[in-house]
Amino acid sequence: MSAPVFSVHNLWKVFGPKAKADRVPGSDAADLTADQLRKNTGCTVAVRDVSFDVLAGEVFVVMGLSGSGKSTLVRCLTRLIEPTAGEIAIDGEDVRSMDRARLRDLRRHRASMVFQHFGLLPHRTVLDNVAYGLEIQGAGKAQRRARAAEMVEKVGLAGLEGRRPGQLSGGQQQRVGLARALAVDPEVLLFDEPFSALDPLIRRDMQEEVVRLHHDEGRTMVFITHDLGEALRIGDRIALMRDGRIVQCGTPEEIVGSPADDYVRDFVRDVPREQVLTVRRAMRPADAGEADAGPALAPSTLVSDAIEAVARTGGPARVVDGGRCLGVVDHERLLAVVAGLPLTGAAA
Amino acid sequence: MASSATATDMAATATSPARNALWRALTGRRGLGKLLLLAMIAAVLVPFAASRWGSGAWPGALTVDLSGPLGQASNWIIDNRDTHPLFLYFFGWISEGVIVAVRAVYLLLLALGWTGVTAAASLLAWRVAGLRVALTALASFAVCGVLGMWVPTMQTLALMAAAVAASVVVGALLGLAAGLSERTYRALRPVLDTMQVLPAFAYLLPVVLIFGIGVPAAVLATVVYAAPPMARLTALGLRDADHGVLEAVTSLGATARQRLLTARLPLARRELLLGFNQTIMMALSMAVIASVIGAGGLGDRVYQALSTVDVGSALAAGIPIVLLAVVMDRTTAAAGTRIGEEPSGPRWSYGWQAWAGVAAVTAAAVAAGRAASSLTWPGSWMVTIAAPVNSAVGWMTSHLYSGVPVIGGTADWAGHFTTWILDPLRSGLTALPWWAVLLIVAALAWLIGTWRTALTAAVSMAVIGVLGVWSISMDTLSQVLAAVAVTLALGFAVAVAAARSRRVEALIRPVLDVLQTMPQFVYLIPVVALFGAGRAPAVAAAVAYALPAVIRITAQGLRQVDPAALEAARSLGASGAQQLRQVQLPLARPALLLAVNQGVVLVLAVVIIGGMVGGGALGYNVVYGLAQGDLATGLVAGAAIVCLGLMLDRVTQPSSDQAGKER
Repeated sequence: MSAPVFSVHNLWKVFGPKAKADRVPGSDAADLTADQLRKNTGCTVAVRDVSFDVLAGEVFVVMGLSGSGKSTLVRCLTRLIEPTAGEIAIDGEDVRSMDRARLRDLRRHRASMVFQHFGLLPHRTVLDNVAYGLEIQGAGKAQRRARAAEMVEKVGLAGLEGRRPGQLSGGQQQRVGLARALAVDPEVLLFDEPFSALDPLIRRDMQEEVVRLHHDEGRTMVFITHDLGEALRIGDRIALMRDGRIVQCGTPEEIVGSPADDYVRDFVRDVPREQVLTVRRAMRPADAGEADAGPALAPSTLVSDAIEAVARTGGPARVVDGGRCLGVVDHERLLAVVAGLPLTGAAA
Repeated sequence: MASSATATDMAATATSPARNALWRALTGRRGLGKLLLLAMIAAVLVPFAASRWGSGAWPGALTVDLSGPLGQASNWIIDNRDTHPLFLYFFGWISEGVIVAVRAVYLLLLALGWTGVTAAASLLAWRVAGLRVALTALASFAVCGVLGMWVPTMQTLALMAAAVAASVVVGALLGLAAGLSERTYRALRPVLDTMQVLPAFAYLLPVVLIFGIGVPAAVLATVVYAAPPMARLTALGLRDADHGVLEAVTSLGATARQRLLTARLPLARRELLLGFNQTIMMALSMAVIASVIGAGGLGDRVYQALSTVDVGSALAAGIPIVLLAVVMDRTTAAAGTRIGEEPSGPRWSYGWQAWAGVAAVTAAAVAAGRAASSLTWPGSWMVTIAAPVNSAVGWMTSHLYSGVPVIGGTADWAGHFTTWILDPLRSGLTALPWWAVLLIVAALAWLIGTWRTALTAAVSMAVIGVLGVWSISMDTLSQVLAAVAVTLALGFAVAVAAARSRRVEALIRPVLDVLQTMPQFVYLIPVVALFGAGRAPAVAAAVAYALPAVIRITAQGLRQVDPAALEAARSLGASGAQQLRQVQLPLARPALLLAVNQGVVLVLAVVIIGGMVGGGALGYNVVYGLAQGDLATGLVAGAAIVCLGLMLDRVTQPSSDQAGKER
């Protein structure tokens, strides 16, 4: 696997009076409930002992309900919010020990962010908003405008360069936000619930836009969302947060297929499992004779596609990888997936 | 730790259920609890105070006569003004600087000539606010000339220009400091809040004490009066700047300076312009009032005319004041609302081309004026309105003042108002035991606010007594109370009508617009014409001045009531009166309370100025102190005005309780 871009270890963020907040991580107080902690120390823990790596080129999704600490977490990565304890490294370089100039450099060139409420400057045109990041880096007017025009084109806003944010729809404004983040050509894109404020249809468009961008450029992305569907659709890996902790971190299939606890299980209960799980997880060892007959499926085939194949032939289908039969899926196994029953005796 | 705390709680609950029940009953009706507590305090203190110092008006034993020390201080300042280093090297320089600045602007305006000034003002208005305001400006300056007021208008403009420039700089710097530093903001806010509620008259005497009567004192009083709104709104704009935008700007790696210049200040543009607008309006208002301390110009003309009840001359100078106010307000307000709009129209009408055009036309107008060697308004184009107006007033005096069948005359009304309302109110207030007044003030302030506001109000009232101006302050207070009662009764009635009928609203809106831009001083002219001099006209002017704001705030509050709640009430079959009584009025409570507060503050400001037209009381003491050079009397009256303003504001200030909770 590739090297981590962001590497986070035992990260804490405690809000409250600094002297008190600094003492919370690692102490007994950290185990109190939120209410009791606030009563005793006046502090609130937003991020609790969180560790994860974001690998180069992946889309890493942090998902959780509101108040789970996910937005605080992403702000800690570039120290928009100062973490209380723990380590953050970007490409092996310690973020927490950076001085102001280094930190500015990190924000200017290496990680740029897209915000839920866009954060556009209302008095500037679309083009000047997109060019803003280059402007504060000190780029010349002609150069930054040329680059900005290119980005505006890329996010599909060509022709609207002269408008002001107030004249655009929400989706268009977020495209401007995206173009602004892309204009500085950052190593990592950070998204903080970028599409939560948009209508469902436009949200779908924007998700596809992000998937396309990622596909074209392979840029590393950290994506915060409270929408499970969105997380499953665009995430390579998902970290699920609750009360400041990461309760499970894995691929969408791992999260849906083997929830770590009841909370996660509850969370993913309504997910159409046949559209997330693959036959690799659904198959059972082949009985005698089954290894040679029936349609052949790749291990990464979605269960929903396998259902179609099995329904058409009427018999079990083989899961074949490089000519070797790994196992079979039949009516029973596929229905069990759809029904959410535990799968016993899964093949390796 | 947690468990021990819980144990103590439980013990407390177990041992005193009775006390708890009582406490809950009291706190359930919070107001009742406060009143009971106050009654207990009063029961202990009042018999003591009454037996020690007696009841009735403020006891002489508790007053401190400041006229001696104040007179000495003022004499010392007068004696040392030309020799002491503090005056020579500090106040002297300020004074010189002000004189030079005002003089420079004045000479510039005269050099531009009436053609140049009119052209420049109209074109500026056109660029900033559009054609309509430009035409208004053109007509207004022409009227100033026609009325023969060109030179006083230029004097007032020069004084204002210097004062506004200084106010904006001072205000913006203070606002910047308060907007960027939480600590400065917390230190500055109560000061600015308080300055906002004090009548203009309170600022005059301290300035005169140091600078003497003249232009420097007038300009500085204006700056002190006009800078707070700029500071407030600058701070507000900077602090309220969209947090998300600032965060986004930070996330892109902006430095603190870049953040301020490219995001924070531009985001606050609307507030900055609103602050500028308010500063200009306050400055005009004060520049006119400051005629009492030597401002000269239009205000002085009005002041002189009013002191001889020459309504015609007062009107001739008053009209230009109103026109200046309207033009300045519309121009700066339009600048605020036009922010962010796309320029439209042909290419020459915006951008640098337009500004070049403005400069060229102005230069041409100046040249034309000079060529015709007519720098001040030509005498043959003037119309004297003083004589016809005075004869009209004379006709009114003889026909409408009294003896009109059935309805009586205006002077009769004023007389009846004085006899039946003002006099009983004043004797009632004076007859009330001093401790009862303090108690009532404390109770009112506490019911609506916190113990802190109650304390401020009661202490302010006590200071008035200590200063030895208890009875004339009661006189002022009686006028304020009468005026507030009339204002609220009229204001709420009109506001309800305006909130319920679009037609009424459309009808009164332009009237309110004009009334709200007029400086306080101008209101004295028509009431003197109608009612002569006395206390009733002062009250009438106060009502006229405060009414527009009260109507506007109330109507807005009623109209902004959540439409869903109103719809729900309608769907349940509530009648119009029921909707008003049960939904609109309760939901608009904050607006109503704000209207009361504003009404009181505005009424006080004009009742004080009413001292100039026979209102007597504190305002008269200030004018008398200034006119006779008896600064001690004036300063004591000024201090009493400050206290009265503080007390009235605290007694009617509803927001402090909620604000305290938010913090």
